[in-house]
Amino acid sequence: MATIIINGQEHTLPEGEKLNAIQMAKRVGVDIPYYCWHPALSVVANCRMCEIEVGSKDPKTGEIKMIPKLVPGCQTPAKDLTVIVTDSAKVKEHQRMIMEFLLINHPLDCPVCDQAGECGLQDYSYEYGQSNHRFIEERIVNPRKDVSSAIQLNQDRCIMCTRCVRFTREISQTGELQVMNRGNHAEIDVFPGHPVDNPLAGNVVDLCPVGALLDKDFLHKQRAWFLSKHDSVCTRCSTGCNISAEENRGQLWRFKPRFNPQVNDYWICDEGRYSYKAANDPALLSAMYLRQNNDLQPAPIDQALKTVGETLGRIAAAGDITAGVLSPFLTVEEAYLMASYIKGLNAANILALGPVPTQGHDRTFTPDQVKGRNGDTSFIVPRPFTIHAEKCPNRKGVEAILEHFQGEVITWGDFEGRAALGDFKAAYVASDAIDPWIDNERAASLRSKVEYLVVQDTTVTPLAERADVVLAGATFAEKAGCYVNANGRLQYSEAALPPRDGSLPDLDVFAILLHRAGGPVRSQEILAELAEAVPAFRAVAGGRVPEFGVSITEPARVGVAPFPFNDPWNESRVQVGAKNA
Amino acid sequence: MRADDPHLKRLTPPTLTISEKFFLPQIAAGLAVTAKHMFGVVFKDKAFTVQYPEQQEIQVGQPVNLRTSAVYRGVHRLNKDEQGRVKCVACMLCATACPAHCIDIVGATAPETWPDREKYCESFVIDELRCIYCGMCEEACPVEAIELTGLYDLTGLSREQMIFDKTKLLSVFDVTKEGEPMRFGQPPRPEITPPTALAAPDTTATNP
Ligand code: SF4
Ligand code: SF4
Ligand code: SF4
Repeated sequence: MATIIINGQEHTLPEGEKLNAIQMAKRVGVDIPYYCWHPALSVVANCRMCEIEVGSKDPKTGEIKMIPKLVPGCQTPAKDLTVIVTDSAKVKEHQRMIMEFLLINHPLDCPVCDQAGECGLQDYSYEYGQSNHRFIEERIVNPRKDVSSAIQLNQDRCIMCTRCVRFTREISQTGELQVMNRGNHAEIDVFPGHPVDNPLAGNVVDLCPVGALLDKDFLHKQRAWFLSKHDSVCTRCSTGCNISAEENRGQLWRFKPRFNPQVNDYWICDEGRYSYKAANDPALLSAMYLRQNNDLQPAPIDQALKTVGETLGRIAAAGDITAGVLSPFLTVEEAYLMASYIKGLNAANILALGPVPTQGHDRTFTPDQVKGRNGDTSFIVPRPFTIHAEKCPNRKGVEAILEHFQGEVITWGDFEGRAALGDFKAAYVASDAIDPWIDNERAASLRSKVEYLVVQDTTVTPLAERADVVLAGATFAEKAGCYVNANGRLQYSEAALPPRDGSLPDLDVFAILLHRAGGPVRSQEILAELAEAVPAFRAVAGGRVPEFGVSITEPARVGVAPFPFNDPWNESRVQVGAKNA
Repeated sequence: MRADDPHLKRLTPPTLTISEKFFLPQIAAGLAVTAKHMFGVVFKDKAFTVQYPEQQEIQVGQPVNLRTSAVYRGVHRLNKDEQGRVKCVACMLCATACPAHCIDIVGATAPETWPDREKYCESFVIDELRCIYCGMCEEACPVEAIELTGLYDLTGLSREQMIFDKTKLLSVFDVTKEGEPMRFGQPPRPEITPPTALAAPDTTATNP
């Protein structure tokens, strides 16, 4: 155990943790401002914002010796008997000077800057800077430029922290970005013809503490303070990256990564980042449909559900088999209710796993603790980041439920084969897949083999066009629930949007079909039931999911719990203004 | 500005004199003013009443110093810059400040032909029925693009007519710019000292 003295107060740091002064101070509620430091990148100490007074205390005499000059906090390890002073007049004057320097060439165009509201320069100007600008000489004006087709660089806003450069060197290991020129004329740029187009490129925009690197997809569309943030999980692949889904006026505007040391560290891939668009698609199913006179007619939700319940009940009463298809896009709660429903109708009913979309190969980025980095990197915990080829969020979770209900997992291929043999009287296919998942031919052959077909989906698919009943389910943004990722980690994802008009979240659909009492269901109560009923889900007893999720395949690891980390300018922002205008 | 800013001036309210503390002399003085006006109306035909709408004080486009008040807050306008482009930079600070949530802006990247501009408003809509004419929007605007004009006779035959879009708001600028010049035509420069340059025209003299 180490004792660290911060502003005259003694604090202890448990054995085995390596922190620097910034992290240590933050943990005890003292802010040391910084720009260039990032916990996943090597330390360069070039912004000079985190300079503090550092000293050490003699263990025997208790005498405190301070280093005469200010020292960067990011480079100061929190060792035993380190003395840190962050609030002296000397430190404050230094912070004020650094802010003035950083803003010398800054265009001060917050009104048109997308970073406004979550900007390190704004926050620190207010807290540590001054309200006037003494520089009357001509500023260096740099035109904006593109560093890739998706990312714009407004060089005059850049503070040369080189976070973006270090990201492309150390994390994506593609090294597209670099510093050109020197001193006052330094700028970030790419080699001609080598844009920042690696699969993790979008992260440089999140890393940039100011509004220099901008996501062109989000450019000039919204203001940061209008967005309400929802702690979600990306459903684009089976990695299950933690994201903040940001919504305003019933629309998603962007995904931002959320720190999870067990899954995605601080990053998300670009494919996931832009997958939010599927939730805003105007072509999403906006009503339930019933087949009448050989044509699908819109029907009220209750009527559609009643028809499904009655027909499937009749089929079960006649002793015929219904097959339920649970897609890997369902949450575990939905899969559990659906399986209970189908099996509850007739114990001989069959459950199958829906199609598991795959695309390309898994791609893993393995940042090294030392290679490609500079300086002391012993603070850094390098964590690999994998983009999976499996483009669905919950295959493992649905499989665990299927195994519990019928001891085996019937794949989509097997299901199609058995359907072709005429094994099933009815089929209930719940999909919610993001991409088109079935073609006309296969849909037609499946249709011809079952007498009654219920399709629950979010988009109009060839199968839905042929169904007897089409139920409009919830997109990934509209449903709350848990997914089990490729490593068996179960994570909770918050709903970011309310259900679309005419649709009903899948969990409610199944709850109504099951005639559950007690009004609208909450995913937590279903998760608690699931944890009781299915041993594989014991880890989430009571429906409580820990912050970073919990592994359902391996026993919980004991050790130092990772400490959540966010850049201060991205933290706890309040929402103001025309949110609902 | 922070609470400990050295430029902040702390003021204490003046202390009352004995006669002010007593109140009665003040009440009598007030009543005397009322009586003077009543006398004027009854015996000297100095009534202030205007037979609106038959008799209209102000016509659209009339110089601002003929108006009853230069600070009247009526219909909004969107100002144009010297090149006739909308001044608004779509920062949405007005929409943020608006307590009635009646401003709806769609921002977009400025066209290539506007090299000096980063962003502009693609659409700008104010629901004039929801607006409470508080003036917070013009207060918030960093580029003086939105202003409340003196136009008070705001009428329409349907709700839709009262939802003003960008074109309409810009046209309000065209009809009022003569009578009510932009309060901040130029970006503030060190050599212009704002208080004198911005002094409101004296309008009291034109009261009947
Ligand atoms: S572009 Fe942003 S992240 Fe890159 S050096 Fe400049 S300020 Fe830092
Ligand atoms: S005057 Fe007030 S209520 Fe009307 S648009 Fe402006 S801020 Fe909103
Ligand atoms: S505050 Fe001014 S510049 Fe900003 S959106 Fe409103 S009118 Fe436009």
